[in-house]
Amino acid sequence: MAQVAMRESPGRSFMPAAFRNAGADALCMVAVLLLAALIIFLFGGAAMQRVVTYAAIMLTAVLGLQIFSGNSGIVSFGHAAFAGLGAYATGILTMPAALQRTALRDLPQFLAGYELSFFAALAMVLVLAIVIGLLTGTPLLRLTGSSASIATLAMLIIVYTLLVAGREITRGSQPFYGVPREVGLWTAVGIASVALVAARLFRETAFGLATRAAANDERGAAAVGVDQRTARLAAWVVGTVAAMAAGAMMAQFLGAFSPRDFYFDFGFTLLAMLIVGGMNSSLGAFTGVVVTIAVIEIVRRFEGGGEMFGLHLPVLFGLTQGVLAIAMILVIWRRPTGLFGERELNLLRRPGGRAIPASAQPPLHVEHDRLAADHLSRRYAGVVAVDDVTLAFDTDSITGIIGPNGAGKTTLLNMLAGDVEPSAGTVSIGGAVRAASAFRFARSGVARTFQNIRVFPAMTVLENVVVAARQVEPDLGQAEAAAMRELSRMGLEKSADQPAARLAYGQRRRLEVARALALKPRFLLLDEPAAGMNAVETAELVSILSAVRTERRIGVVLIEHDMRLVMNLCERIVVIDHGRVIADGTPAEVQNNPAVIAAYLGSRTARAKTASETTANETA
Amino acid sequence: MPTLYRLHRAALYAAVFGIAAVSTASAEEIIIGAATAQTGGLAPYDQPALAGLRMALDELNAKGGLAGKYTVKLVIKDTRSDTAQTATVAQELIDAGAKIMITPCDADPSISVGQLTQPLGIPTLTLCGSAPVLTAAVGDVMFGTYPADNVQATAVADFAIAEGKKKVFLLTSPDSTYTANLPEYFGKVFEKKSGAIAGRGTYTMGQPDFSAEITNIKGLADQPDLIMTAAYEPDFPAFIQQLRGAGVTIPVYGADAIGTPTVKGLGKLVDGVVYTAAGYAEPGSKLEAFNAAFTKYAGHAPESTYEVNGYEIGLILDQAVKTAGSDDPKAIRDAIAGLKDFDGITGKITYAGTDRMPLRPVALMRYEGGEGKYIQTMIPDAADVPAP
Repeated sequence: MAQVAMRESPGRSFMPAAFRNAGADALCMVAVLLLAALIIFLFGGAAMQRVVTYAAIMLTAVLGLQIFSGNSGIVSFGHAAFAGLGAYATGILTMPAALQRTALRDLPQFLAGYELSFFAALAMVLVLAIVIGLLTGTPLLRLTGSSASIATLAMLIIVYTLLVAGREITRGSQPFYGVPREVGLWTAVGIASVALVAARLFRETAFGLATRAAANDERGAAAVGVDQRTARLAAWVVGTVAAMAAGAMMAQFLGAFSPRDFYFDFGFTLLAMLIVGGMNSSLGAFTGVVVTIAVIEIVRRFEGGGEMFGLHLPVLFGLTQGVLAIAMILVIWRRPTGLFGERELNLLRRPGGRAIPASAQPPLHVEHDRLAADHLSRRYAGVVAVDDVTLAFDTDSITGIIGPNGAGKTTLLNMLAGDVEPSAGTVSIGGAVRAASAFRFARSGVARTFQNIRVFPAMTVLENVVVAARQVEPDLGQAEAAAMRELSRMGLEKSADQPAARLAYGQRRRLEVARALALKPRFLLLDEPAAGMNAVETAELVSILSAVRTERRIGVVLIEHDMRLVMNLCERIVVIDHGRVIADGTPAEVQNNPAVIAAYLGSRTARAKTASETTANETA
Repeated sequence: MPTLYRLHRAALYAAVFGIAAVSTASAEEIIIGAATAQTGGLAPYDQPALAGLRMALDELNAKGGLAGKYTVKLVIKDTRSDTAQTATVAQELIDAGAKIMITPCDADPSISVGQLTQPLGIPTLTLCGSAPVLTAAVGDVMFGTYPADNVQATAVADFAIAEGKKKVFLLTSPDSTYTANLPEYFGKVFEKKSGAIAGRGTYTMGQPDFSAEITNIKGLADQPDLIMTAAYEPDFPAFIQQLRGAGVTIPVYGADAIGTPTVKGLGKLVDGVVYTAAGYAEPGSKLEAFNAAFTKYAGHAPESTYEVNGYEIGLILDQAVKTAGSDDPKAIRDAIAGLKDFDGITGKITYAGTDRMPLRPVALMRYEGGEGKYIQTMIPDAADVPAP
């Protein structure tokens, strides 16, 4: 054990594998971008340079959108508004003071006369972006799913209205002009490169992992300690920063603009580019922009008509939009997730090409702890699911909760995991009482699995576990090592780089357990861990669970219908019926409890059985 | 409408090849770049104006080109009604050797192009952009061609004062430059000429209900004798319907955007409404002759005065090249800027002494019994036109 532990110390690697892989991807995309820019710089004319500059600005904006929408799964229309705010802020900060006095006569004094260089203005815009991101994100991200999307749409309209109404500052609906044009090819390409690296790396950060997990399965994410609101807010703010940087460049690229340049048309252009490329990856954003701009640039050269390869081409203005529309329909039809929606480049993630050393130190809980339910009740509109239950579970024990269907077992487990708020009573972990919040419970040592498996299907097996490990490990590198340890424990290390969706049913169950164990829990709550498994798989699971329990001395609580599993594995059994505890004791005690028999087999059978036993006893 | 445009374009395309064929034969060729919207929201404005310009250039080329000497090669590129795209195609046109640039009917893209042409001294003319700020935002190469918002407003204000109107209510919408500023320009001229502004109201473009604004007007202690607005469809019909419905009989004046069949179709409702046009085809006028010639050229009658405006751009360029005596862009620019009382189709056009938004005739019209009746044509005094 000690030898293995030695390997863990600093010599390992300068960077977590996920960052190394992401870094390689990002550098590859940046290299392509720089190469394209260099070729255009050397051989292209001024017009071609403008095209590439424009492409780089759009790429920055689309990446901003991807960082939020791609990770959180929430389509945002609001990023066009951020670009607009960035553009106006840059315009005001960089405009020559003399021109400002005539073009913006009523500009408030504190905004006037900065005459900053582009990069100084950009720095201020980025700070502003963080503030705006936090201000808008905090209320907006209380919503989820499509209602959050609609809220971003509302935000776009609000920002547009403000820009139009703020005539003293923005010249209202009139063109805002006089912005110096300092953004050229290399500035735009440079900033787009930074955005590319940021977008690619963000996926692998704690926030990126957490946002993606929450997008995959909200409850599953909460159960592994993901605070999805904070994580999504982080994605929102980073996306805002990129979008406003794009707006800042756009201001200096165009020189003149008005609020409607950053309204629906622009918002939909960004979305269309992202959808073509694929929303879920930075590679998708990159390809989307490249493909869209390339199609536009190639096709529009044919619009004007003329001779081509001896063929006479008619004048066909509108051809560009036509081809673009057909291309989009084709992409959506043939590849609904976009050209590269499913995956990043993953240059360093080839089969067998990676070796993440598993950290070999199973966390050992030496101090004794107790998970206690005190007079716990839960009512659903008149139906009492759990009725005044008082129970305590200790570490280093294994308890089974059984009971007929609809007895209230899962509701009890959900309350113990903080997933459901009790109508009355409290749950305490090691003395501390917590508000019912699944991710806080998970972080304070209660891990769980679900009756219907809740893994994150679009993430790799390793990422599934890293999300959880990242909540308790200090950095990504150690989280990866811990995740590998748990995967090996569950015999899943070979599938580490596969998407979780590809796993077989039994493997997914094991993955969920591995993910729960990565939280270094003091208590592990399992909701029907053997459901749907065959006898061999069940036996395997039983041996793993009892080994885990002895190795780590954690408290295991499981709900199960498979009586053989329960009786073999558990030291203590709690029987619940109609929301109440009707029996609590060793397997042998519970098996002979008349109330239990009545609950399972009906009261008449129970009476008969008790009667015959009494007679037998009397005869004896 | 779509069929109309298809025909319209077919004519355009025919013309493109016509010119291309001539140009190859010519020794002295001048390239005019047209970065205009062939598609998108600006196309309905750019296309008629461009058709007029095409017609003028065709006629000039038949006579040897600009100043009878420089055959025009008109290169058209689609801006897709997008500002960034406009700047890009303008750069391509510059690279292709354009010595004169034509830009869309809108201020943003025109300014974007102007920023590229300004350092090179290439004269740049917007097709029908009427925001007066347009030329000042770019510099001395940028020219407007259509009667600017402030010129139109001055003409209407002069007329109102002459009629003896004293107190005006201004109805504006901040949603577009036109609706926001034109009534304000009117107010400035009106006040300067001893009129008074009795009140102001705003609306949102596309709002169906004007009852708040109408209540506001009815509640004014000092009742106005005129309401001035630059509202157009669908706001103008909704507003006037509800205004008259509420029993308010105060006259309403507007500008060129309500010179449409829809507004005319409102019949008695719009009786007495005064509006403007870039010209009026009086019997025997040059404009009437132009309309007939255009109908023959394009296969349909002009839809608006944008066509004649585009045609006049061609004539202005011809005159400028004549004066300059060369195809040097800077000389052409100076010649346009010095143009004074140039005889166009609609009347006399003057750039000299202006901010490169031309002083040119504005026709005043009034709806009576479902018909647009011509009142008079006037060229406002340059000193009266309020600064943008």
